[in-house]
Amino acid sequence: MKKIIFLFFIIFVTALTSMKSLDDNLFKTPKDWPKHEYDFSRNKLTLKKIELGRLLFYDPILSRNNSISCATCHSQYSSFTHVDHALSHGIDDRIGSRNSPALINLAWHKTFMWDGAINHLDMQALAPINHPDEMGEKTENVIKKLQLSKVYKHLFYEAYGDSSITGEYFLKAISQFELTLVSANSKYDSVMRKETNFTNQEINGYKLFKQNCASCHTEPLFTNQEFENNGLKADTILKDFGRMRITNNPNDSIKFNVPTLRNIEFTYPYMHDGRFKNLSEVLKHYTSGIQNSKTLSKQLLKPIVFSSNEKVDLIAFLITLTDRAFLFNPKYSYPKNNLLR
Amino acid sequence: MKSLLSFLFFILFIYPNLIFAQSVKLNKLIFEPVFGYSELNLNDSFYRLKNDDSIQFQTLKFYISKIEFINNEETVWKENKSFHLMDGNDKKSLSIQLTIPTNIIYTSLKFNIGIDSITNISGAMGGDLDPTKGMYWTWQSGYINFKIEGKSNLCKTRNNEFQFHIGGYQYPFNCLQIVKLNCKQSDQIKINIDVSKFLDKVDLSKQNHIMSPSNESVLLSNKLLNAFSINK
Repeated sequence: MKKIIFLFFIIFVTALTSMKSLDDNLFKTPKDWPKHEYDFSRNKLTLKKIELGRLLFYDPILSRNNSISCATCHSQYSSFTHVDHALSHGIDDRIGSRNSPALINLAWHKTFMWDGAINHLDMQALAPINHPDEMGEKTENVIKKLQLSKVYKHLFYEAYGDSSITGEYFLKAISQFELTLVSANSKYDSVMRKETNFTNQEINGYKLFKQNCASCHTEPLFTNQEFENNGLKADTILKDFGRMRITNNPNDSIKFNVPTLRNIEFTYPYMHDGRFKNLSEVLKHYTSGIQNSKTLSKQLLKPIVFSSNEKVDLIAFLITLTDRAFLFNPKYSYPKNNLLR
Repeated sequence: MKSLLSFLFFILFIYPNLIFAQSVKLNKLIFEPVFGYSELNLNDSFYRLKNDDSIQFQTLKFYISKIEFINNEETVWKENKSFHLMDGNDKKSLSIQLTIPTNIIYTSLKFNIGIDSITNISGAMGGDLDPTKGMYWTWQSGYINFKIEGKSNLCKTRNNEFQFHIGGYQYPFNCLQIVKLNCKQSDQIKINIDVSKFLDKVDLSKQNHIMSPSNESVLLSNKLLNAFSINK
C-alpha cells in the first residue's frame, strides 16, 4: 500500500515539474536589460495562450467586415510595423492619422501609442479594434464572433480551461503573443556580448550616436520612453498635437513618444506621421530642419552638426540594430499550420 | 494507514472550516434610481425639468466599488474584490449581496463611485470589470465611472441626445468619488440615486456631452456626491 502511494506521489511530482518546464522560459530578460514593466504574475505565459494570441493577431475576424487583422498594419518582416505607408490604412481603405509603430520589446513599455493614450499592453488592442478608420468593429462583437467559432471555443478551452470567451481572456491572449516579440539579437547586441566586433565605421557611428542621440534613444531599448517634441514642422492638415490630446496640458503640445531605433533599417517611413522616407531624410531633419517652439526638446536646443561622412557612419551604426533572427523567426509568422474556420 | 489518510483528510478539508467558520449573514444593498420624487424608468418615461422642459433617459450605468461598513470612523468590515457594475436596465445588477459577520456593528456605509487608479492601470480583468461591458474607453485607457444618456428638447443635438461619460483616474482629472452615508443597522439597505441632483446645475442646451476625462468631468463627478442618499 505504502509503495503504491509513494509511486503515485513520484508520478505526480514528475508530471508537475515536466508541465512546468514546458511553460517556463517562455520569456527571458536579455542580459543587462532593465526589469520589464509587464506584470507576468497577472497573465502567466503558457504555450497554448501564446499560440491562441498569435492566431488572434493574424485573424481578420477582429475587424467589422473580416478584412483587417493586427498583422495588416504590423507585419513581421518590418519589425511589426506597416512598411511603406506613411499613415496606416485600415478598413474600407480608410487612412488613419499616424504611422503604425513597431511592435517589439513591448514588455518594457510603460505606455502605448504615439501619445501614450494606452496605459497597459492588455488594453492596447481595444484602440485599433474600435477605431472607425482601423478595424471599425466593437470588441463586444468580436467576442460574439469568436463564441460562434468552434475552433476558437476549443482553443480558449485549451488555453484557459473555460470555453466561455470573455474580453479578459481575449485581450490577455493577444498580450501573450505580443510579449514574446523580443528583439535583442542584432549585431549591436552581439558586440555588446563581446561575440563580434564593430567595423571602424560602425565604431565611429556608435560614438556619434552616444554623443547626439542616446539621451532620448537610450540603450538598450533605444528609447527613454518619454514624450518629446523633436522639432517637426507642424502638419496643418493632420493638426496632431500628440501628448496634449491626452493630458490637456499645453506643455505637452506636439510631443510624441520616443520610438525605439531597433530594426530601424526596416521600419521606414519614419516619424509619427511617416513623413521621412529614409534615414538620410531623418538625419537631414535633425541637422538642419529643427523648428523651434515652446515645447521643443531640451536636447535639440543646441544644433546637431554632422559632416556627410559622419552621417554615413551613423547610418552604418543604426543598421547594426537590425535583428534578422527576429524578423524571420517562424515563431512569430503567420500561423499557417492552424487553418482557421 | 487508513488512520493516516483520514487524518490528512481532516487537516486539509475539515480543520480550516472549523477555524475560519464564523456566523455570517447576508446583507443586501439595493440601489434605487429616482428622478426627484419619482422612480426612474429608462426608455419611455418623461420627466419634467425646471421651466417645463422635458427629459428622458436611456442609459444609467455606474460602478460601485470598495464597499465598507464604518463604526465611529473605523472600518469594521470591507468587501474583498469589491467591484460592482450597476445597470439601470438590469434590475438584478442594482442589488448587491454582501456576506458579513453577524457581530459587526456599524453606523455608516462607505463606497466609491467608479474605479480606483490602481485597478485602472492593472490590465485586463474579468467579471464586472471586463472591458467589453461598455464602461471602458477604447481610444484612451480608463474606466467610465458613471454613464448617463438620454434625450431632452433642450439639447440641440442629433435626436436631442445627451451623453455624459464621467471618468478619469489621472491627476488632474481624477473623477473617483467616495460616498459616506450614515445608516441604520439593517439586513437591507436601500440607497437612492437621484439623477435630478446630478443634472440640476447642468444647462443641457450648452453642455450635452462629455466623453473623456476633463475639468468638466471632475466638476460633474462632484455632483454625484449629492445624488446618493439612504432611503429611510
